[in-house]
Amino acid sequence: MSAESISVIKLRGLLLVTVPADPDDRTVSALQERVLEAMAEHESGGLVLDISTVQTLDSFFARTVVETVQMVSLMGGRTVLAGMRANVAVTVTQLGLSMGNTLTALDVDRAIDMLNAEASKGLRV
Amino acid sequence: MRREPKATSKSKATVLGSEDSFRMLVEGVTDYAIVMLDPEGHVVSWNPGAERIKGYTRDEIVGKHFSCFYPPEAIKRGVPEKELKAAIKHGRFEDEGWRVRKDGKQFWASVVISALRDKAGKLRGFAKVTRELTERRRNEEQIRILNEQQQTILDASPTMIFYKDRENRFIRVNESFARANGRSKEEMEGKTCWDIYPRETADNYWQDDKEVMSTGQPKLDIVERMETQKGTMYVQSDKIPYRDLEGNVIGVIGFTLDITGRKQAEERIQQQSREIMELSTPVMQVWQGVVVAPLIGSLDSQRTQQFMERLLDRIVETNSPVALVDIMGVPTVDTQTAQHLIETVAAVRLLGAQVVLTGVRPAIAQTLVHLGIDLSGIITRSSLSAGLLVAFEVLNLQVVSKSASR
Amino acid sequence: MNDLQQGEFPIESENDIVSARRLVRNAAVAAGFGLTDVTRIVTAASELTRNIYVHAKSGVMRWRFLKSESKVGLELTFEDSGLGIPNVAKAMEAGYSTGNGLGMGLPGAKRLTDEMTVHSEVGKGTTVVVRKWLTK
Repeated sequence: MSAESISVIKLRGLLLVTVPADPDDRTVSALQERVLEAMAEHESGGLVLDISTVQTLDSFFARTVVETVQMVSLMGGRTVLAGMRANVAVTVTQLGLSMGNTLTALDVDRAIDMLNAEASKGLRV
Repeated sequence: MRREPKATSKSKATVLGSEDSFRMLVEGVTDYAIVMLDPEGHVVSWNPGAERIKGYTRDEIVGKHFSCFYPPEAIKRGVPEKELKAAIKHGRFEDEGWRVRKDGKQFWASVVISALRDKAGKLRGFAKVTRELTERRRNEEQIRILNEQQQTILDASPTMIFYKDRENRFIRVNESFARANGRSKEEMEGKTCWDIYPRETADNYWQDDKEVMSTGQPKLDIVERMETQKGTMYVQSDKIPYRDLEGNVIGVIGFTLDITGRKQAEERIQQQSREIMELSTPVMQVWQGVVVAPLIGSLDSQRTQQFMERLLDRIVETNSPVALVDIMGVPTVDTQTAQHLIETVAAVRLLGAQVVLTGVRPAIAQTLVHLGIDLSGIITRSSLSAGLLVAFEVLNLQVVSKSASR
Repeated sequence: MNDLQQGEFPIESENDIVSARRLVRNAAVAAGFGLTDVTRIVTAASELTRNIYVHAKSGVMRWRFLKSESKVGLELTFEDSGLGIPNVAKAMEAGYSTGNGLGMGLPGAKRLTDEMTVHSEVGKGTTVVVRKWLTK
């Protein structure tokens, strides 16, 4: 899976990023770059990270995701992590990783609803 | 100097007649009784060896019949006469057996009786050479008894026991082992593992044997399957090195227990506890978007793990943003259990769903506070119905009374 | 020599972490592990191969099936000849409380597997062996 294959879709003022199933470390790092570039370019208020195909979320990957969420937040965006698989969630928890206060949703639909609801509440500090 | 002894020996040889030198030889022998008998079996000559072994002096014995060397029952059976006859017939007779000393004590003797004939072939008497082998006989007897006792003990043992050599051959097996294999001891001894068991099984056994022989260390508690003519059994084996007197490892000794019954019981218990676990942690969808998991009984790590996996799977399957975990049926909540619950909640949250912990009884609330367990990040309610209301709120639903709406 | 039941794979580049994950996934599935256990094993392997790559630059991963009469399992060995770990006990604790980031490797892998042994000599290298048993 190469870094170029990461797709970033703009959707009703939100960004939708599909994370590849089994990315190498370079792709994970490139993902962060791409997301931040897109955030700057589109001045988007929300980001959905679709991780429904991800089979393995190890500490490096998880840390990059959490960092990205924090960076997006600094740029004024809200991130929702969508579609984590049950077995991945069990493993991540058991591994001792914390995803911080990252918002999560069962699927992309619900993630978009969440972000739209947030937006309608108005400005967040 | 070198020539002189030669000259001496030569002169002695000339001085002494061959008969004299033969007499000297016989006189000099003390380890063998060398006795001459006349054709009827009376003692004619007697050497110091005979005196040492049989206890009679020459004067006491010469002229007596040689049957006095035999135990009474042998005389009764006519053994002395038979032996002489055999010697006459075949020229020579050999035997091992008990003989009697002058003092009445018996000793184990190896006897050779040769018939002596003159040039015309007429019988002139007998030469009787006797060796005392009591010591050897006793040792052999001792070893035989020890061996028999050992085999008795081996055969009485319910443990299957076998000795194998370095070529994987059974040297010795006990009754239990033979019986378990559905064979006789004789059938098994001398055969290799490969002759008796299926290839793969035999290879496995041999691996362990080789390890024990090369390290010289016992290998204990080997749990494995044993395929016998009577079917499959589970066994637990200890293997120790089999050493010779010098300490060289010459094989292995194995002690094997049949644990088939125990194994089956274990499997039954495992099967039952799995079933109980499934029964005791159902995860039900009670509303579109709401699953309920009532926990009953105490929670250990393994059970919580399985519960967590089931709960998460069901949340994903039913696409439910809310899970009500009811702990009304959990007798006590300790630090460990609370930790497991916190982990479960964290994992559910990663999915994008929420746990509402319900059924928090007063006693459990007290325990949690006293233990200093912080569940502040988790929504908790005292009853399942209160939890259901939280769920509806999360789902943006409202329960309205029919009468009120009219 | 490599097959699903046993084999070895050199860890020399970052890409090898992904390949190692795939090999371990195939082996774990072949051994009969369920999806969650497969994910645990693969994640542990990912942590430990990354440890090799980050701390020792290169090393080797080996895998083999474990078979006894009562249970079946998978054993993974991670061996490098890097700097070694001066204090294994400490390395086992590190990162747990901070919750994310580096240093999760060893303690994380230990929590995801059933058995773990770490043998490390400073200046010589580190060998980590993890085992996961399949409860029938």
